Amino acid sequence: MSGLRPLAAIRIGEEMTPLSRAVSQDQIAAYAKAAGDPNPIHLDPEFARGVGLPGTIAHGMLDMAILAEAVGRWVGSYEGVLELGCRFSKPLLPGETITCTGRVVSLEEASGTVTLQLEATSSRGERVLTNGRAVVRLGD
Amino acid sequence: MLDPSHVGRRYEAPAEVVAAERVSAYAAAVAGPDAVFSAGSVPPTFAAVYCLMPALGQVFADPELGIDLAGLIHVEQSFEWASPVHPGDALLASAEVAAVESKRGLIFLTVDLAAVDGAGDTVCRGRSLLLFRGGGR
Repeated sequence: MSGLRPLAAIRIGEEMTPLSRAVSQDQIAAYAKAAGDPNPIHLDPEFARGVGLPGTIAHGMLDMAILAEAVGRWVGSYEGVLELGCRFSKPLLPGETITCTGRVVSLEEASGTVTLQLEATSSRGERVLTNGRAVVRLGD
Repeated sequence: MLDPSHVGRRYEAPAEVVAAERVSAYAAAVAGPDAVFSAGSVPPTFAAVYCLMPALGQVFADPELGIDLAGLIHVEQSFEWASPVHPGDALLASAEVAAVESKRGLIFLTVDLAAVDGAGDTVCRGRSLLLFRGGGR
């Protein structure tokens, strides 16, 4: 498939190009609407504080979507993303910047795939996403 | 109240067509202030829209489980795709309760997810780990 990063140039231990994004409350609201997830912990600060949060938080799935974008950009196409998973360890708060990083931990020449170990941290220094893992198909 | 006797319960959501305008709105919401990245198929986590939300919605609506969404925390999520998803695909989402575990007053629910296309082929599988706090409402 065209547009995919070539497998031949990849070495184990190689770092994925990091992706950073400042996430505003407006973006969280847009995500709630687009994903059809109106849970008030993402939208209503008073409700969020009532369940023990410091205020509204970004959807874990929004954090994961930004992680997926980091992987997609590195691969060159979303079509190369075969598996993606992570743990939502800490909340990302509105106004913070999330930074997604990863590195190649294994390489399968026969199937043309590599496995990336992934994580994401917030500008506050919290590990937002942990145990992240993606299997991606690369190009010739 | 959720308990291990619910393991094995299966749920199906109504079939839905992946709408191009929903994909665009989703991609724009993920991009926020930045340029939308849209190379290839729909964003992988658009599975939240065609699989996760509709399938979990069925689980949450089951009165036998008595789930209180106010204490819900999404702990882990994984997906795998057998083939890329594109606008226009008609997909049927389903869920199966894979595990219910109680630890120190917290209930952990594991749900297996799938999205099947019109030909009956599974295009996406997923697993959600959800945590329900308290239950003291």
